[in-house]
Amino acid sequence: MFRPLRLAALAVFVLVVFLAVPLAIKAAGRTDFYYTLSSVALLAIASSGVWLMFHIGRINIGQGAFALMGGYVSAILVTSAGFSFWLSLPLAGLFCAAVSILIGLPILRLRGVYFAMVTLVLTEVARLLALALPITNGAKGITSIPAPGAIGAFGVTLVPAFDTFAERNLAFYYLSTIMMTLCFAALYRLVHSRIGKLFVAMQQNEELASSMGINVPAMRILAYAISSFLGGLAGAIFIAIAQSIYPSSFTVNDSVNFMLNCFVGGLGHVFGPMLGTLVLYFGWDLLFAIGQYQLLIYSGVMVLLMLVLPNGLLSIRLPSRRGARK
Amino acid sequence: MEQVVANGLYLGAQYALIALGLTLIFALMNVLNFAHGQMYVLGGFVTYEIYGQLRWPFVVALFASAITLAVLGGLIERLLFRTVIRRSVREESTMLLAAGIAYFLDAVILLLFGEKQRGVPKIVPGVLRAGDIIMPYDRIVVGGLAVLFIVGFILMMQYTRPGRAMRALAQDRIAAQLMGVPVEFYSLLGFALGAMLAGLVGGLLVTITGVNSGIGGPISLKAFLMVMIGGAGVVGGAIAGGFILGMLESVGLTVLHAYGDITYLVIFAALLIFLAIRPNGLMGKPWG
Amino acid sequence: MTSILKVNGLTKQFGGLVAVNDVSFDVQPNEILSVIGPNGAGKSTIFKLISSFLRPTRGEVLFQGERISGLAPHIVARKGVVRTFQETTIFKGLTARDSVIVAHHLRSRASLIGYYFETGLARRDEEAFGSSSDEILEFLGLGEVKNEIASNLPHGHLRALGIAIGLAANPQVLLLDEPFAGMNHEETRRAVELVRAVRERGVTVLLVEHDMAAVMKISDRIVVINFGSKIAEGAPAQIQKNDRVIEAYLGVEDQSIGL
Repeated sequence: MFRPLRLAALAVFVLVVFLAVPLAIKAAGRTDFYYTLSSVALLAIASSGVWLMFHIGRINIGQGAFALMGGYVSAILVTSAGFSFWLSLPLAGLFCAAVSILIGLPILRLRGVYFAMVTLVLTEVARLLALALPITNGAKGITSIPAPGAIGAFGVTLVPAFDTFAERNLAFYYLSTIMMTLCFAALYRLVHSRIGKLFVAMQQNEELASSMGINVPAMRILAYAISSFLGGLAGAIFIAIAQSIYPSSFTVNDSVNFMLNCFVGGLGHVFGPMLGTLVLYFGWDLLFAIGQYQLLIYSGVMVLLMLVLPNGLLSIRLPSRRGARK
Repeated sequence: MEQVVANGLYLGAQYALIALGLTLIFALMNVLNFAHGQMYVLGGFVTYEIYGQLRWPFVVALFASAITLAVLGGLIERLLFRTVIRRSVREESTMLLAAGIAYFLDAVILLLFGEKQRGVPKIVPGVLRAGDIIMPYDRIVVGGLAVLFIVGFILMMQYTRPGRAMRALAQDRIAAQLMGVPVEFYSLLGFALGAMLAGLVGGLLVTITGVNSGIGGPISLKAFLMVMIGGAGVVGGAIAGGFILGMLESVGLTVLHAYGDITYLVIFAALLIFLAIRPNGLMGKPWG
Repeated sequence: MTSILKVNGLTKQFGGLVAVNDVSFDVQPNEILSVIGPNGAGKSTIFKLISSFLRPTRGEVLFQGERISGLAPHIVARKGVVRTFQETTIFKGLTARDSVIVAHHLRSRASLIGYYFETGLARRDEEAFGSSSDEILEFLGLGEVKNEIASNLPHGHLRALGIAIGLAANPQVLLLDEPFAGMNHEETRRAVELVRAVRERGVTVLLVEHDMAAVMKISDRIVVINFGSKIAEGAPAQIQKNDRVIEAYLGVEDQSIGL
């Protein structure tokens, strides 16, 4: 399980993300990057859920709905029910997973563009629901959500309250990147276990998979629940950083972007969505400097990228790997 | 009541035309055109510039909208989709391309036309009053034109050589190729035609509701809804979906007006239940 | 001898069209039974009804006395009735070996959670699946190409891979969908050998086929379908002499029927 090369890659990743990047940011004095990179980490978590759906052969353009839902669940639990943020986090994910099971029962029978279109509509449903329901406080949203409190056990403080940090965004940076690392490690394990192989079999051919005795409907639900859990989790942390949530916090555009992150990174590799999110979100952020041409250049590059590398950034490695096997 | 039906029919005719373009592109190329709404907006702005600003006749403006979008659609197919479809491992890749194009068109539209809501002078003044129905003449003209275009489209698909070829292509691409249908040419033609339909509706509706650079996405979403109701890739389904959504909106906005923005929530809920029973819409093919 | 599979008054209507009309027959343990008929006779519908990919309008299919019609396909597979598909239906992007390993699903002893955390049981499963896959692939003559991506394999190998995937599910009854379609003489001869070998493993084989010559060579018994109804049943020699069968085949198409 732990081959030296993989272990080395993990060590480099940990050193860069948890040590080198914060030090570099501090040295450069660009503390605004903490926020940018936290966003990248959280959006990558949400995108990884979408990637998992690609893995079973479904195009999920509805992750925005679950990010929004997770955000609201956490916000409501913290502000109205007095829950700790840390408890609201798994609850938000579980709530989204439960809802996705209910919705998934009918819609996971749909395939191809039908599933894609229905999930796209789901994002819009979530927004309209947030506007219409009393508990979400309509268009005014929920504001002044308190920062995460301390975690302690047996009188020992494990994580201090976020308000006590001098640089609050650094705390959020660590929270987001640690969560991202955990989520991707869990996903990596999933995809490389036998479950992942079953998922690929379903992606390739659902009829054949079910005739091999694989309970395809249940496995689809499992994948969708995991995907939505990740969406809800990311949404909940995002809302804690923003300290407010509105029906427009996650929109159809976000849902489409989650999908794009997966494409750009590459659908063939678990870490595709992480790389894709980094490139797209960071690229978008950097292009902010050029003002009104931001969207033009961003989308132009995306289209060009598609022409040059239609199978995603991580597909660059494929030829060399095939060569190595010979 | 009659008023609601009349509004629904007028709206439905426009929607059906939008859905026709989307479904045509889907049927021929298996591409879900995310940029359909942006193409609609572009068509609207072309008519706005020519009819609203230059004050040339409306017919000329509408024609220009159609031609602009047809050329753009053809270029997009030839330069982008054809390459990506040939080179990508998974056919979903075209969705990224389509989404990228949608963003790109959004950016172009924003740069060229700004973000203001734009309107044009009425094409025909006056209001028809017949019994309980109140209908401005321009809506009647625009609705009539839309119906005319729909009929023209159906006739073309049924009785002309390109129409037959495109139907063959939609049914079975490989078989069509074996039978000697120039597949690449008709894919290009179909894409151009689909984009042209979006541009035509844009040009028509700018005279009623005006246009602004932000409505591309919502229009695409509506087009998806119609296609889901009727069934993807089927001409009859697109028309049925368009009229059904038009009617639902018209009824919903009247009945549920008091409850605010809830009409679409009800439509979505109904759609989910409907799709649970009929996963391929009213007349769709099994694989979407 | 009691039958392993019993097809009882099976009827399927699509709208007004009767695709399969009151078809009954029994399959005996460890025999090779073929269902044949001209194109459009309703063969594939019967096939889908038996594997429970379609629900019958009337009638039922019993496996070891137990009704399997109306159950989900994966449950039917779990009970021991496994279908294969025509060659285009494989796991295109997986290697031959991985395809067969995945198809061992029904032999899993570890739970999904066990597989996730790679418990000892899960690891023993994986090892068992690996060696069993190698054995099956070798058995079907695919040992050389087991690490090729399935979609790169030639015609004949794909058909064998389809059977390998079916065998991995450890079936008692294996349903083969047109195993000889589109094969030349030599390929068909090899495929016939394969099907015989499968039977030698103790598996009952039910195949739906168009190629009369191969069917005559391989089957213990044959059921003939025309226009959705059963018109004959019996040993190959009987079927060859049956007037209704000859009429049905000559009436529809003049191709060789291997008489």
